[in-house]
Amino acid sequence: MEITSAELGLAARVTNLCKTYGSATTSVTALDDVSIGIRRGQFTAIMGPSGSGKSTLMHIMAGLDEAGSGRVWLGDTEITGLGDSELTVLRRRRIGFIFQSFNLVPTLDVRGNITMPFALDGRRPDAAEKDWIDQLTDSLGLGDRLRHRPHELSGGQQQRVAIARALATRPELVFADEPTGNLDSRSGREVLTLLKAASTGYGQSIAMVTHDPIAASFADRILFLADGRVVEDRERSTAEEISGIMLGMEQCA
Amino acid sequence: MSGSETASATGHAGRGASLLVAALASAFGVLLLETTSVLATVVSGNDVSRIAAVRAALSIVAFLFITIAVYVSAIVTTNTVATVIAGRTRTIALMRLIGSSAGDQRRAVALDGLKVGLAGAVLGAAAGILLSFAGVRLAFGAGLIPDLGYRLLEPLLALPVVIVVLSTWCAAWVGSRRVLTVSPMQAVGAAQERTLEESARRPGRNAFAIVLMATGVLFLAGGVWAGQVTEYGVLLGLAGGLLSFTGLVLGSHLIMPPMLSLVGRFLGGSAPARLAVANASQHPERSARTTIGLVIGVTLITMFAVAGSTFETMMQPLMDDPVTRAAVSETVSTSLAVISVLVGFSALIAAVGMINNLALSVLQRSREIGLLRALGFTGRQVRAMILAESVQMTVAAVTLGLVLGVAYGWAAAQSLFGSVTHAGLVAPSIPWLLVTLCVVGTAVLTVGATILPARRAVSLAPIAALAAG
Ligand SMILES: Nc1ncnc2c1ncn2[C@@H]1O[C@H](COP(=O)(O)OP(=O)(O)O)[C@@H](O)[C@H]1O
Ligand SMILES: [Mg+2]
Repeated sequence: MEITSAELGLAARVTNLCKTYGSATTSVTALDDVSIGIRRGQFTAIMGPSGSGKSTLMHIMAGLDEAGSGRVWLGDTEITGLGDSELTVLRRRRIGFIFQSFNLVPTLDVRGNITMPFALDGRRPDAAEKDWIDQLTDSLGLGDRLRHRPHELSGGQQQRVAIARALATRPELVFADEPTGNLDSRSGREVLTLLKAASTGYGQSIAMVTHDPIAASFADRILFLADGRVVEDRERSTAEEISGIMLGMEQCA
Repeated sequence: MSGSETASATGHAGRGASLLVAALASAFGVLLLETTSVLATVVSGNDVSRIAAVRAALSIVAFLFITIAVYVSAIVTTNTVATVIAGRTRTIALMRLIGSSAGDQRRAVALDGLKVGLAGAVLGAAAGILLSFAGVRLAFGAGLIPDLGYRLLEPLLALPVVIVVLSTWCAAWVGSRRVLTVSPMQAVGAAQERTLEESARRPGRNAFAIVLMATGVLFLAGGVWAGQVTEYGVLLGLAGGLLSFTGLVLGSHLIMPPMLSLVGRFLGGSAPARLAVANASQHPERSARTTIGLVIGVTLITMFAVAGSTFETMMQPLMDDPVTRAAVSETVSTSLAVISVLVGFSALIAAVGMINNLALSVLQRSREIGLLRALGFTGRQVRAMILAESVQMTVAAVTLGLVLGVAYGWAAAQSLFGSVTHAGLVAPSIPWLLVTLCVVGTAVLTVGATILPARRAVSLAPIAALAAG
């Protein structure tokens, strides 16, 4: 019998994942035989220089893009080969997203954006979920902003709304793609502290893609990607150590 | 798709629609003039001195309808240009940032409009002339018209072409005024359409719109009152109609949102419906732009229909003889049929505008739709959202158009024929068949119009859509 992700304590995993873009003559290898697991309850950073395949990996793990070859699991569900509507429902119920920019629906206010995953499912949050959302909005400092629309908020506030939305359904795994990429360093640090608190505070599994050593230093574990391959797997490290590894990777290349 | 690709795609779609609209208006003008020329020749049996007189009379009618078509196409083009520019805010801001002046940017848009207008008008005129040649040959072959020296190539045909070119140019200029409001800073921050609160907060334009509407209504009432004694009451009524309608177009961003949210209440509380309502009512300018053409089309058709049938009602008491009654009734319905076709053409132009605006707005929101897809909106839900938006706008536009059409049509009949029939004030008479046809036709059209953009929106992979600028 095949070993399950749950037995391994993994929230998601991929094996022998490959992905190329373009036609035969102009092909770009974005991912080259990647096999990794994202541990449950941990804050994992996927680190690497620009163009190393981080976003591609995240999109495939989140069911937003198709793998070229290899297999992908979310929890114990193999998502390789699932149809669009199954993937859609899976994203809605089991995954949370935070992007670098354009995270919020401009026509909805803060509350509407946070409760959107419930609305997509055609239901309203129940009492327990309501309490949870209230708790989230308070701890994210959004309590008095619920009636505002995204363009009335600063970048950091918008990103906090995206965090609240991503955590609202208590998904199995939250994916964040360069969540601090558009923020000044102070707002960026706030966002990272909040993500870290979500993982240490109530065991939220988070996979964050970043090229910033400071951002990666907030994580429990750091996977290094270069030219579409995993080249390092480190437990928590300081920003200096991470920078060192990155520099070493560049010298090898 | 990259940001600049999206911007240029909306630019192309907008240019295509403006070209089509200009071509339709110009072809319509040419065809109508050719028809009057042929009719005049047939009626006066090749008697040159009579031809001129008959033509003059027919041409006045032709120009009335050409004016309507040009007015509608100008509004459609203005709105298309404004929509394209709203979608290009980022690019324009970037150009401003690196040193291009707002005036330069705007002149470029207007010049583009001039070229598109010229190309469209010439193409349309050529099509119109070809069609008239073919039509005359067919009619002659079928023995419908005698073999007379029909003159199908005349200097007069240049008139609709010139009018269409100028109106398209003007429309592009007016539609591009929003370029002036783009600040270079928007290249850096999030560029957004004006929101409900901001657009409601433009006191100058709002006051002007309200004054126009109020004056227009006064004139209309005056026309109806004066119409009891003289048929020249219709001139007052006409002025009132033009004033109030222009006020309505200017103030549409104030009138459409409440109507839209009223209609939105009936769409239910599902996520797609709620988002659709939010989209339509949070962007009053965008939804007003998309719907106003349709309002004009429905208003025009209803107006003529109600005027005709109210006139018939007013004549009833004067005619004891059933034969006369039947004759009048037939004349009215024949004229109505002809007028419906003529006005229908303007409605078609309005429909092109609405379809295009809807498609553009989907194209411009591909990032938003990509985000929704990433978060778990199914393809079906996205389609439902777009359909709900268009249903909401259609219902609001058709309702407003019907109400306006009945009011204008009734006022027209009263002010023109009141003194002739001495019937006093009668209730407006509504030809239900025509109204039903109009409503069903618009419904089919708009639902049909959403199929392509909706399919496009769904076919975009969420990551591609999210990457779009
Ligand atoms: N849609 C695409 N078409 C072609 N090449 C792509 C596409 N998306 C990504 N790539 C290429 O794949 C490689 C990895 O990209 P990406 O995953 O975005 O890297 P990262 O997020 O680490 O910067 C890059 O070389 C990039 O140019
Ligand atoms: Mg990336």
